[in-house]
Amino acid sequence: MRPRWRKVLHDLWDNKARTLLVVFSIAVGVFSIGVISGAYQIISNDMSASYAANHPANVELRTENFDDDVLSSIRNQRGVGEAEARRVVNFRVQKTGSEAWVSLDVVAVEDFDENRVNLLVPVSGGVKAEKDEVLLEKDALKKINAAVGDELLFEVSDGMTKKLKVVGIVQDVSTGAGDFLAPPFAYIDMKTLATLRQPELFNRAYVTVAEDQDNIVHIREVGADLKDKLEKNGTTVARTRFSETHKHPMGDTVNAILGILLALGILIVFLSSSLIANTLSALLSQHLRHIGVIKLVGGRKNQVFAMYFTLIMAFGILALMIAIPLGGQGAYGLALFVADTLRFNLLGYRIVPMALLIQIAVGLLVPIIAGLAPVISGSGITVLRALSGDLTGDENKPHKHDDREQVSWFDALLLRLTHMFAARGIHFPRPFIISLRNTFRRRGRLILTLFTLTMGGAIFIAVFNVRVTLHDYVGSIGSYFRADVTLDFDEPYRLREVKQYAMQVDGVQDAEGWQFISIELIYPDGSVAENANVLAPPAESKLVNPLITAGRWIRKDDVRKLAISEAALDPFPDLKPGDALRIKINGREEWWEVVGIFKFVDQEGILAYAPYEYISQVTNLANRSYAFRVVTEQHDRATQEIMAEKLDHYFRSQGFKVRKAESGLSSLDTASESLDTLVIFLLIMAILTAIVGAMGLTGTMGMNVLERTREIGIMRAIGADDRAVMRTVIAEGLVIGFISFVLAIFLSIPFTYALSDIVSTAVFQTPIKVVFTFLGYGIWLGLVLLLSVLGSILPARNAARLTIREVLAYE
Amino acid sequence: MSSTSLIELNNVSKTYSTAAGDFPALKNINLKVGGGEFLGIVGKSGAGKSTLLNMINGVDELTEGEVLVAERADGRKLSIHDMSEDARSLWRGKNMGVIYQSFQLLPMLNLLENIMLPMDLSNNFHPRRSRERAMELLQLVELEEHAQKLPAFISGGQQQRVAIARALANDPLILVADEPTGSLDSLTADHIFDVFEHLVHDQGKTIIMVTHDMGLASRFSRSLTIADGELQNGQDALNFDRTTAGQK
Ligand SMILES: Nc1ncnc2c1ncn2[C@@H]1O[C@H](COP(=O)(O)OP(=O)(O)OP(=O)(O)O)[C@@H](O)[C@H]1O
Ligand SMILES: [Mg+2]
Repeated sequence: MRPRWRKVLHDLWDNKARTLLVVFSIAVGVFSIGVISGAYQIISNDMSASYAANHPANVELRTENFDDDVLSSIRNQRGVGEAEARRVVNFRVQKTGSEAWVSLDVVAVEDFDENRVNLLVPVSGGVKAEKDEVLLEKDALKKINAAVGDELLFEVSDGMTKKLKVVGIVQDVSTGAGDFLAPPFAYIDMKTLATLRQPELFNRAYVTVAEDQDNIVHIREVGADLKDKLEKNGTTVARTRFSETHKHPMGDTVNAILGILLALGILIVFLSSSLIANTLSALLSQHLRHIGVIKLVGGRKNQVFAMYFTLIMAFGILALMIAIPLGGQGAYGLALFVADTLRFNLLGYRIVPMALLIQIAVGLLVPIIAGLAPVISGSGITVLRALSGDLTGDENKPHKHDDREQVSWFDALLLRLTHMFAARGIHFPRPFIISLRNTFRRRGRLILTLFTLTMGGAIFIAVFNVRVTLHDYVGSIGSYFRADVTLDFDEPYRLREVKQYAMQVDGVQDAEGWQFISIELIYPDGSVAENANVLAPPAESKLVNPLITAGRWIRKDDVRKLAISEAALDPFPDLKPGDALRIKINGREEWWEVVGIFKFVDQEGILAYAPYEYISQVTNLANRSYAFRVVTEQHDRATQEIMAEKLDHYFRSQGFKVRKAESGLSSLDTASESLDTLVIFLLIMAILTAIVGAMGLTGTMGMNVLERTREIGIMRAIGADDRAVMRTVIAEGLVIGFISFVLAIFLSIPFTYALSDIVSTAVFQTPIKVVFTFLGYGIWLGLVLLLSVLGSILPARNAARLTIREVLAYE
Repeated sequence: MSSTSLIELNNVSKTYSTAAGDFPALKNINLKVGGGEFLGIVGKSGAGKSTLLNMINGVDELTEGEVLVAERADGRKLSIHDMSEDARSLWRGKNMGVIYQSFQLLPMLNLLENIMLPMDLSNNFHPRRSRERAMELLQLVELEEHAQKLPAFISGGQQQRVAIARALANDPLILVADEPTGSLDSLTADHIFDVFEHLVHDQGKTIIMVTHDMGLASRFSRSLTIADGELQNGQDALNFDRTTAGQK
């Protein structure tokens, strides 16, 4: 091999710590970008592919009971491709021999052999349930530990339980795709409905359009026609959902979240490049003498440039060798996780060419961009300057005026502070003061290190704040139905009666009757804009704590007035309090006045509130209700569960037809869980940035120690032992860590706002109120100090290991 | 007369500007060096020897004047300070061997590779030939058995001999050496001197060597004294020894 390439090889091999540092810095960036871009590609492809492969319904109609005749008329409707009718009813289910009750949506399928829409894909066992048999959706296994052959108890309305046998586990990626609060599904044959005391009638229709399956406008038209037709035939449609075949309902949300991760990935690349720039410029200045020698014996600028350029490319290639396989795995892992959470399937492990190209580009470009400036200036240096070591950072050179002035300014300050503290009896140990001075000697390097660590810290802290912010928001969403126990009956009971009975149960404070009604919002041209669910609590209910953005909340004497969620601004962008809204309620079209607009999770469509006092007249159920909200003395989860159980038993024993009694927060748990998975990803990215920061610190400390070899030798010569040497180095690391923490405190504030804005817009389609927590600050302080110690231990050990002889032989 | 000289310095001045003001390190130097000379430049520390040498080998820029060096083929003179840094580097690599007191070997390359480096950089020899040649040069300085060693594992005197072998790699006519024996004991220094004498007498090289050791003056074919940036009065720096030069 030619000597100059041999030198490059040695530069790469001989200083393994430095090579690893640079290679890992590049690799971290390449890895994060690889994971995110790969996952993005896999998810955006497989999510819609998996969804589409399942023949998802384009129109889902939730209706009153209907029969085969109605189904045939749906099938005969123009524009309809396939149509299936099902009955979906919620049941409490228990595995025999277990205590826990689980809520499942039981789907009665007309004919398993003719399954053409929302396909059931076998996982294990059969795909067909006969009478008194049941198939479980894969997701249900997370809640109920059942296998094929097990028996499940279904609680029917009179309090009895019915036994159904699990004959198969299936997957249905479309039925609950858009509903991240939906309970898991179980599938039965229509014949089994009788066993479960349910009529053999349908209440859902799943319809695909014959053509233009990805044209939402067309889908809406077909859906609206269907609805009209059903209602003309006397079947009320409570709710319709529309979706394109090749677009997973959660697709946009997932993309938004991946977008955030991508932004963080880019930031990591950015930070690691500053780290690489730092290391490479130190490397070049350590190599000035070599460059001088090469030029002395005939080397030209281009040759020197080529040598160091090759070195840089080698760093990049080594980083790619680590990061590409890991990034590919990570991408698939992330995609798998998202797929599992959102119930869709991946098409299998694969290398994503686009992600691979991006990784290669990042892995090669980052070191080039970061290293170009030092390499160009290093290879352009004159022999004389290179040989005299002008740029090696030797503090005794007269030309370093600026730095010296800064240091002496800093020293003066330090001296004054030391005296000030000493006068008050506070004495700092010498090594600490030396460390402090060392820290500020190389200011450019210090700034880069601080920058990386501070960014890592600020993101870390911000993620914790965002987590609390999201939970706070979900909590406040909960304040729209804050009850401790929700009690639903199969028939309406008098409010006073239910309240009286409820108060008999120990621990109950109050019970309110609520009503629900679904309405349609109508465009001025007469077409249906959206469905909306109207909740009707007593106007003075303490259980609802709305976040009103405009207008006022509902009042007892409101007649044909409602408060509506922000989601209504989608179809009616100019909507404001005082406006009249044309709605269809109970089959009649009426004008209602909007009195207020409030915030609510957009995912679940439009929500509205109207006072019980008026709605009970509309529904003809004055002073009665199917649904009750119970307030208990204690509001923790465990108590709520117990109270739900107690109330359930008590009311049944008193002869009430209880449908279900549930603890009030149970639905929110699901929402919190999905938010937590999101937070975990953000946290992983934050930790990656912190690692980059720690590597930056290690690199900086390593370079500082190397440059101060002579000084350390002198320290040892005058009697400093290993521990003293290590202490000064570690103390210096701690000083840097602590400064970065202080800076991160400030930087985390805008980061928190920006991040929670992006996340909440992605998840809730609306910005939310930011909440701060000490937790992130506390953890980061501990972590950054730990990282600082860890980051300086290796350089400190190297420093302590230097013998005086080695130090004097240096240079 | 001047046409026969190999190196010619005309009115060369060098002024360093420092924080304390301008410092004239060389004052109007005129000097001619003939082919085959072994020229010693002697002077006290700080006299300007290194500065002068760095003018001749083009490592440092001059403030005034010119340095002309005869081209190998036609004797046409080249003003080395009119060349760009890069061109000068290439030219120096091919035509002038440079030796410093601190040997300036690359620590990660073994002796053989250190010697091959100039040949590699100037592409003067086929890689295989350059290895053979490096081996021959190591034999010349009697270090062939250490060929695969790293510089750190041989003595200072041996390192300096490697540096000499490296200076000879591209077979230049001229060697310039700045205190090549400065950090060596007198016995080792003597050995280095022997090598230089051999190169001058048997291979017809021209050597310019700087030393602060006045006692060595007798061993040069000509020696000049420099003090305070000026060649000593009474010495005719332009009149090189034609008998030696004539040998070439
Ligand atoms: N880069 C520089 N900047 C300012 N002054 C310089 C510089 N280099 C050399 N000098 C000054 O120029 C003068 C001549 O220096 P030079 O290195 O040529 O001396 P020398 O004869 O080689 O000494 P020594 O025997 O110690 O090597 C000295 O006074 C020195 O201080
Ligand atoms: Mg000198």
